[in-house]
Amino acid sequence: MLTVDRVAGASLALVALFVLWESRTLPLGSLANPGPAYMPVLLAVLLLVGGIAIAALGGPTPPLTSLAFPEWRHALAIFLACAFAALALERLGYRLTVLLVLLFLLGVVERKRPVATVVFAVAFATGTYLLFDTLLRVPLPRGPFGM
Amino acid sequence: MLETLHNLAIGFSVALSPPVLLYAFVGCVIGTLVGVLPGVGPLAGISLLLPATFGMDATRAIVMLAGIYYGAMYGGSTTSILMRIPGEAASVMTCIDGYAMARKGRAGAALAIAAVGSYVAGSASVIGLMLLAPPLAAFALRFGPPEYFALLLFGLLVLAYMSSGSMLKSLAMAALGLLLGMVGIDQMSGYFRFAYGVVELGDGLGVVPVAVGLFGVAEILATAGQPVPPKVIEPRLRELLPSRTEWRQSVGPIGRGTVLGFLVGIIPGSAHIISSFVSYALERKLSKHPEQFGHGAVAGVAGPESANNSATSGAFVPMLALGVPSGPIPAVMLAAMMVHGVSPGPLLIRQQPELFWGFIASMYVGNLVLLILNLPLVGIFVNLLRVPYPYLYPAILAFSILGVYAVNGSVVDVWIMLGMGVLGYVLRKLDFETAPIVLGVVLAPMIELALRQSLAMSDGHYAIFFQRPIAATLLVVAAGMMLLSLRTFIRRGLDWRARMALAEKGES
Amino acid sequence: MTVARVVFLLVLVLMAATPFAAAQESFPSRPITIVAPFPPGGVADLTARPVAAAMEKLLKSPVGVVNKTGAAGAVGMQSVAVARPDGYTLLLALSSISIIPEADKIFGRPPAFTVDQFAPIALISADPTVLVVPADKPWKTAKDFIDDARSRPGQISFSSSGVYGTLHMAMELLSHAAGIKLRHVPHAGAGPALTAILGGHVDALASGPAVVLPHIKSGKLRALAGWGDKRVAALPDVPTFRELGYPDAEFYIWAGLFAPKATPEPVLAKLRATVREAVNDPEFKGAMDKLETPITFKQGEEFQRFFETDARRLAEGVRKVGRVDTK
Repeated sequence: MLTVDRVAGASLALVALFVLWESRTLPLGSLANPGPAYMPVLLAVLLLVGGIAIAALGGPTPPLTSLAFPEWRHALAIFLACAFAALALERLGYRLTVLLVLLFLLGVVERKRPVATVVFAVAFATGTYLLFDTLLRVPLPRGPFGM
Repeated sequence: MLETLHNLAIGFSVALSPPVLLYAFVGCVIGTLVGVLPGVGPLAGISLLLPATFGMDATRAIVMLAGIYYGAMYGGSTTSILMRIPGEAASVMTCIDGYAMARKGRAGAALAIAAVGSYVAGSASVIGLMLLAPPLAAFALRFGPPEYFALLLFGLLVLAYMSSGSMLKSLAMAALGLLLGMVGIDQMSGYFRFAYGVVELGDGLGVVPVAVGLFGVAEILATAGQPVPPKVIEPRLRELLPSRTEWRQSVGPIGRGTVLGFLVGIIPGSAHIISSFVSYALERKLSKHPEQFGHGAVAGVAGPESANNSATSGAFVPMLALGVPSGPIPAVMLAAMMVHGVSPGPLLIRQQPELFWGFIASMYVGNLVLLILNLPLVGIFVNLLRVPYPYLYPAILAFSILGVYAVNGSVVDVWIMLGMGVLGYVLRKLDFETAPIVLGVVLAPMIELALRQSLAMSDGHYAIFFQRPIAATLLVVAAGMMLLSLRTFIRRGLDWRARMALAEKGES
Repeated sequence: MTVARVVFLLVLVLMAATPFAAAQESFPSRPITIVAPFPPGGVADLTARPVAAAMEKLLKSPVGVVNKTGAAGAVGMQSVAVARPDGYTLLLALSSISIIPEADKIFGRPPAFTVDQFAPIALISADPTVLVVPADKPWKTAKDFIDDARSRPGQISFSSSGVYGTLHMAMELLSHAAGIKLRHVPHAGAGPALTAILGGHVDALASGPAVVLPHIKSGKLRALAGWGDKRVAALPDVPTFRELGYPDAEFYIWAGLFAPKATPEPVLAKLRATVREAVNDPEFKGAMDKLETPITFKQGEEFQRFFETDARRLAEGVRKVGRVDTK
């Protein structure tokens, strides 16, 4: 049966195998003169053993189906908002990006009242920019029209 | 000795004059503000604001920079405790118990203990710096790659005490972290490893994006959507300060953390990061209630915070006594001092005693001003927790993105943070702990480099680790501790199986 | 559904906004960013900040410094190479700008950038490296050192700021010129490399003069020779390798300001004039003085020639080193 630890252990073992496969192009070196692939291969073997051990001992853990993700909608929305921020940060600039992210998270995801949402988002985006970029000189990206 | 006191008195007479105090105060405020951004710690804080001090007189400028330095150091603990965002790798351990304390309504206590711990550690290590700098610095320089390798093995030993869950899982997570730490250019040969053409991965996965992702972002992903949002904590005035028991519990950890941090800190390199991990492990080992760790143990905040602070002060020992930029933070401080015409080194104490002692006094003053500034601020910071979570978490996210981006001006770091957030979220669901991953990412490049440097020095002979007295001693002690922890490992392994057997019977 | 729709709209907005570039008015109309591709406290950072401060005063418009670090400087350099060529993103590069593309070639990687993606603005400083050894070592002169290295190849070790880094290349140029073989122990930056030699863990180091000067004065290190075409002013008794008969061992750690290649000529002219004035700013001079970094200002033709000669020498050096995994 697929239990939590069996699946987790097997996934870790797969990661280890992937690393081993990816290390094939790097010179391994020798014990006296370890090459760039030496440590990764060593660690991947360790992870492989660990993953297999976790999977092997993982029989008595709860079944995978017991894992619940009741908050998946929220998590996905937050993930998308962050991904958007990463894409937009250097194109739209800090202020616009953060404004849009906050409007989305507060207005759409959390369904706060529009006025509160807009006030909070505008105040946060411009306030942090003023504080960190203008006053404390932490360079933040600007978008089109110097925004 | 008498001369030292006399010089120190001169130093203080300069550092305590009202205008200089004002600069210290301004520096502390700025430092705290900058330090609140995840990742933007003392390193970035000082260099960002260095040009602003160009026109100032040297004493004022250095006092202000010392203020920024201490402020930025402390700013990181605030976010760790209140929002579970580690400002830097060293705050990861604070995130665990500090945040747990905050969730139990003891945020004020945690912040106050962190502030006092940092102050005690900072002041004590300044005294250590003053009295012991020259002999200690000479000793610190004897730490070459073989000694460093042996020291870092201690960092790995910490794993045995770090988690409350299964040891096997911790080990697997550490291996995963160490593997993640392998990404980037191999420092010995110049090969790109696992970078897939992304130049930004050349220096590897930054510890800050990894830590902020695994702790801060994962926490938000897991909590934001819960049907019942985390309840708003309304701190009452009486609860702002630590209780008598909490003070008593934190005295020992602060003392031990200070000494430990100072000793680790004087060693050149980036070993100071492990001081907070080691301190956490030490406190847990010594504690009568190790089961409280991870659920808001006072010692789990007091120890690492003190160790972290005194380690960075300890790092000033080789810088002041020898003029060696012994780590990233002293390197920036060294540069800042040189810009103001003060060049630390063996000649400084003899030729310009007033500057040397002025610096010592200004570090002390900066530290004190920070404490005076921050204790009242605890009340204000704690009120952040009154903000309902639906407003709080978008702001925390925006802060994380801002901070992680600002460290390197790199969007790739934001992606790393996001990826680690998802990883942390999934691992949490699967009941894995993520702190060992951070430790792995921190240690991996250092251990590998130290090992291969040692072998390059000895032309491939492992005997180098046993021919050098410091390295050999450290290795023997580490091996002994490893055997000891193996015992706990086996015992805990049994516990774990027993627990599972119970679960099978449907009793848990 | 609403979630998906909003995401879609946001993506549209994002894509629509990208091509808009601020119209070119009088330069500069918004803050200029100087990218320092190395961490705070290093040579690039310490040169960039005073330069930025001096330019800010002259242009009356903010000039900020961003440390875009990573991959031995390649990250920051690449980011400027592909930045919008409008003069608002500049690069403060060190000698390694000519090394990185060559090292990429050796490993068969697509280069992160090439040197002809940049338009030079000005050279600000150029310090020759000097060869230092711990004072308790027997070598009194560069000749002693080279002779000893020749008699026991691969036995004398040196630290460097990293493989293919500036301090490594200086030593390799010497090894080739003198026909010796040394043992390389790379460190993670110039600071750790200096710490290693002070602790006696390695036998030699090629370093910028400013950082080793205090240690030479205090008697911990001994300078044997310099890589410059003339002697270092602060070390008048230390000969150059050129004088000793190794003219190919010439190396400078230099810092220069660059813009992306396609930056319009009027903007470049304005920037060049500003930097020319900025290096005469007393505050700038004071800062560089205290850092013991002599200002070596070169512009136009002169800088171009210096840059090209230097790049050719380094490219050849990297090719001679080759891949390091074959010992």
